[in-house]
Formats: sequence, structure tokens, C-alpha cells
Amino acid sequence: MNRAPQGRILPREAGAAPLEVVIAVMAFLAALALGASLVADRAAESWRAGLSGRLTVQVLPPEHGSPEPALTNETSAALDILRATSGIVRANPLSQADTEKLVEPWLGAGAVVGDLPLPRLIDVTLFPGAQIDLPALTQKLARVAPDSILDDHTRWIARLQRLADALVWCAYGILALIALATASAVTFATRAGLEAHHDIVALLHQMGAQSGFIARAFEWHYLISALAAGAAGSAGAAGLFVAAGGLELAGIEPVPFLPPLTLHPMELVWLIAVPLGACAIAWATARLSVLAALRRIY
Amino acid sequence: MLRFENVGMRYGSGPEVLRDVSFALEPGSFTFLTGASGAGKSTLLRLMFLANPPTRGLITLFGHDLATASRSSFPALRRRIGVVFQDFRLLDHLSAFDNVALPLRLAGGKPSDYAHDVEELLGWVGLGDRLNSKPPTLSGGEQQRVAIARAVVGRPDLLVADEPTGNVDAEIGQRLIRLFGELNRLGTTVLIATHDRSLIEQGRAREMRLVDGRLVELRAARP
Repeated sequence: MNRAPQGRILPREAGAAPLEVVIAVMAFLAALALGASLVADRAAESWRAGLSGRLTVQVLPPEHGSPEPALTNETSAALDILRATSGIVRANPLSQADTEKLVEPWLGAGAVVGDLPLPRLIDVTLFPGAQIDLPALTQKLARVAPDSILDDHTRWIARLQRLADALVWCAYGILALIALATASAVTFATRAGLEAHHDIVALLHQMGAQSGFIARAFEWHYLISALAAGAAGSAGAAGLFVAAGGLELAGIEPVPFLPPLTLHPMELVWLIAVPLGACAIAWATARLSVLAALRRIY
Repeated sequence: MLRFENVGMRYGSGPEVLRDVSFALEPGSFTFLTGASGAGKSTLLRLMFLANPPTRGLITLFGHDLATASRSSFPALRRRIGVVFQDFRLLDHLSAFDNVALPLRLAGGKPSDYAHDVEELLGWVGLGDRLNSKPPTLSGGEQQRVAIARAVVGRPDLLVADEPTGNVDAEIGQRLIRLFGELNRLGTTVLIATHDRSLIEQGRAREMRLVDGRLVELRAARP
């Protein structure tokens, strides 16, 4: 006689859908937080790469006298010094138009900007790894352009790094909270499951089932639920990041100074960690809950 | 095999259900336990198959003093006991085959190793054509036979049965008693709690009776 395959120790739960919805939502939020941390990290790296190896010299207009001839002379002298300094690849002055474009986001275009005493800017590019004696260079520049400022961007880089680090740690904090909420939901569901299947658990225990055997029946149940729901939530978030990449293609301009919110394909792979993490949390939580409950039985 | 010494049992702060119960089951013995409803038979059985700890007294099972034995050793002790529950306690979502195979599955057996034994035993209790039937589709008597097959399939060292013939007709009842007898001849110690006097009288087994929570030895085993 043909026999049906070996039956599951626990019956399929008809009421598990709410837990799966909770896990899917948690996984969606976790994947968003993880993706945001990756975007923040990439942005910090790009800011660092953009600013390191560069110097900016500002030649400020003198307080007295006619600014234009003085500015032109001081800028020219500063350029001579910079170009003669070893470790500097090139030093290029920014045109008036470029300088005005820099302040345009704050002041707008028009006559107001033209009337302002804008400094002359010199963009300096260093050889990779070049060690420049900045105090000595500052002194040399001060001799020919007393109102010049040499900026190596370390202050900006440090602030951007701190901002990026804060964003990444915020994302980790959110991930931890989501993990805690998921674990709590699974614990609650496991307890409900134990309650619903009390007769089965008591019988298996009575027949000499090891606690691990009973726990495994619950673990697998919640692990599979978490994998399916986690994958769904993570896929939703991945879709959102991909869609964010499509905004620019759709003609929506990115916000200035903010990195693009899309994830690169290699970064999207990281989102697979979310359903795996959900599985691990569900597995461990279910196991610990069942073992703790079984310890209370004689 | 099993020894009770001055065992007492009460549930919570209620009255004592068992009082100073002392007896021993020798290996390979066959014993009937009788008593009126509420006399404490089920409680005594629950102590025997490690469902509850006693309130007082000493229980020694398979050479282990249960008061001092490690809890981690209990599952192995429980697997050496076959239990026929009065309410059968079958798993409704499993087939008759899977219910009977459960003790072997818990002991780590593979279906390919035990399938033949399980099918043969179900055939013996008259359910060879109901292997894939779920308990809710079986009659009370059929469920009882599945429960008995489950209790004996692992050839336990100790078989404890609570009213095992209560829901079957006389013919099947006789057949089940023969099954218990066969198991007993193979070395299993058997204790059956029953009200059925005809079942008790036809055998030569020892009879113990519970009266108001106290155990009275009515009849020793006859040679």
C-alpha cells in the first residue's frame, strides 16, 4: 500500500500570516536602514576622495584701496609660489564666473553677486601622497598676499566624516531596534504556538522527545516563515533603491550635496543579509523560547 | 524495574490523592491495577510514566532514583516506557502510520528501517487498511488500537496502559490482551489499569487495588 510521506510533527499553522506580515515590514525597514548606511558610507568616501589631495587658496580683497589691481597682483604672486612648491601638480585660478557659480546656490544669480567683493580662489592639486609643509607655505603666501587663506579641507573632511559616521551608526541603531522588535514578535508568536500546540508538545515530551527535537519543529516553522517574509520585505526595499536610481533618468534632479540614493549592484547584494538575519533571529528566538518553556515542564 | 516507597501525591494545596503507596514491579511481571473512579489510578500511572513528580516518597525507575536523577536523563527513561493513555492522545494531523511510528522517530529511527514493523503491527491490530487515515476519521475503537500500537511498537521495557480495552468489542479486547501478553513474554513489564473484571479473572496476573489513595495488594501473580 502506498503511504503518504512522513508527516510534519507540528501541523501547518493557519494563523501565521500576521507574523509573516510583521517580519516582512521589519525586513523592509531593515533593508532601508542598511541601504541608507551603505549610501552614507559611499558618500563619505566620495567626499573624502574629492577633497583629499586638494588645497584651496582664497585671496581676499584688501580692506582699503582699489581691490581689483591688488587682488590680481596678489593672486598672480600666490600662483607663482604655489607652482614653485614641490608636491603640487597644478594650481589654477578660478574665473570670476566660476566663483560666482559657487555662491549662486545661496545668493542666486544676478546683479547682487556682481557687486560683492568676492575672493579670488586658486584650486591646487597635489601629487598623490605628497607631504606639503602647510605652515611654511602659509607664511610664504602671507608675504605676497597678506589676506590669503590656505585651506587643506581637513576641517570639512573631518566634519563630513563625522556626519557620515553618525548616519551609519544611526542606521545600525535602527537595525538593532528592528532586530529587537522582530525577536519580540517571534517570541510572542512562539509562545502562542506553544500554547496552541500544547497537547502535541506535552505528548512529545511525555514520549521522551529531547527538548532539541521539539525545539527544531518550531525553529523550522519560524525559520521558513522568516525567510519568505524577510525576502519579500528586502526585495521591496531593493526595488525602492533601484527606483531611486531611475528618478534621475526620469528627469528629476538630485538634491545638491546629497549623494544619489540608489544602490550599486554590489551594494544591493548586501540586502540579502536582511532575510538571512531575519532567519537567524527567528531561529534563535524560537529555539530559546521553546527550550525555556520545556524547562518548566517536569 | 520500578519501585515506589511511601509515595504521596497531592495537586497544589488540595487533599492527598495518593497516600504512602509502596510497591515494586519486577522485570517481566504482568500486573493489573484496579480501583473505583477517583481512587487515584490515573495519578499513580502519571507518576509511573514521569508526567508528575511525587509530593513525597521515593520512586526508583530502571535503577534511577528519580529524586536525584538528572532531568537530562528523563527523556531516555521516558523512551523506555510505552504508555496507552485513556484518551488516546493521538496527533490528529498525522496518519495512523505516523502516529504509531512516532516513538521510533523520536528514538532517531529512519522510516525505511521501521516502516515494515509499523505496517505489520497496524495489520495485527486490524488496521492494515487504514495506514494513511487520520485519527479524526477513525472510530473510537480504531483510535484506541492505534494508541496501543504506538505504545508497544518500540518494545518498551515498561508498558503502562490506562483502560486499554475500554472502547473495543470483546473480540478485539481479547486480541489486544494477547498482544500485551506476547510483549510481556518478550520481556516487557506490563501494568494495566482497568475496571474490566473479566479481563482480570481470565489471567493469572497480579492485581493491585487502590482504595482512597492507598494501595492494597489483592492477588499475587499465580504460577
